[in-house]
Amino acid sequence: MAGETGRCSCPGCTEPPIAVLRGSGERLCTRHFTASVECRVRETVEGGGMVRDGDIVAVGLSGGKDSTVLLHILSRILLDCPVRIVAVTVDEGIAGYRKETIRAARSIAAVLGVEHIVVSFEELCGRTLDALVGELPMHPCTICGVLRRRVLQTAAGNIGAARLATGHCLDDEAQSALMNVLNGDLGRIARTGIPDAGVLVPRIKPLRSIPEKEVTLYGIVQEIYTPLPECPYAGEALRSDVRGFLSTLEYRRAGTMTRLMAGYDRLRARVGGCAGAGRVSCPECGGPSTGGRCRVCELLGQAGRR
Amino acid sequence: MKVRLSPDRIEDVAVASATVEDVLLMLGINPIEVIVSRNGALIPEDTMVGGADELRVVRFVHGG
Repeated sequence: MAGETGRCSCPGCTEPPIAVLRGSGERLCTRHFTASVECRVRETVEGGGMVRDGDIVAVGLSGGKDSTVLLHILSRILLDCPVRIVAVTVDEGIAGYRKETIRAARSIAAVLGVEHIVVSFEELCGRTLDALVGELPMHPCTICGVLRRRVLQTAAGNIGAARLATGHCLDDEAQSALMNVLNGDLGRIARTGIPDAGVLVPRIKPLRSIPEKEVTLYGIVQEIYTPLPECPYAGEALRSDVRGFLSTLEYRRAGTMTRLMAGYDRLRARVGGCAGAGRVSCPECGGPSTGGRCRVCELLGQAGRR
Repeated sequence: MKVRLSPDRIEDVAVASATVEDVLLMLGINPIEVIVSRNGALIPEDTMVGGADELRVVRFVHGG
């Protein structure tokens, strides 16, 4: 062995560190790393007024690492709060992929003693993603993103949820922010400045300040991280490029993603609700729309015609 | 030193002593995108490794 790992940065702790936090430079052992992640998530939840007493909180649970860690942490930090957590898994209908991740989702919900429901594209949209991919010309991730958001919203609304929590971490948020800028999508930036506009159940993102690496490490040390197969449709070109670019920048200039999100949040707060950035109701389904028919009705209508 | 990058890919890295970060960079891996364990124990990137150590690299960043 070439060298020892040293000691945890916490005063009095003699345990070996498992991680160096890029923001603070702290070297933390398993116990203090776990406490640090949970503390930061708690600050995000409390500081953002994300959950109130009496709330039903729907948690989007894909069975992947981020949503699994989210459910694990929420079930811990909200343990003594008078809130009800319900995990919601969406079965998009992807042959050879979803079965295993749904099994993982059922397993973690059972271990945590959290109520769990599974809703499918087929029951709410009349078709599986596999079927839609054959009927529509756009990238599967585009179809899936639009429908999954609606299915999650509908399911959360049906159980009376006051909040819909998703497992987006710092890396996801930074990638989306940069993609919006690179796409010149000023409308989206302005719309998301009022995050709850037009949606049935307001979304919350408790992991939004935690880097993906720390989310994964938390999952490993809590023994809830299971490598699962990658979605066969994965590979959205722009996100993949942005991810690589941001990762490189973050490595060379620690804190890049945090600074990007701080600036992006300030920008959204300034432009949120600008003229033309609001949402209206879809004349067909009543769901949120940026004007006229919503994306869900557009997609399903287009699929029905082909 | 053996570095296991996946169940079926193991690299031999000839270094007497280097940080985990240096080893990852030698292999063209961004340390932001992986987690490393040595002989079964998780270690931070600034840990010195080498000799008979066996590293396992878990890559968690995928496309899409």
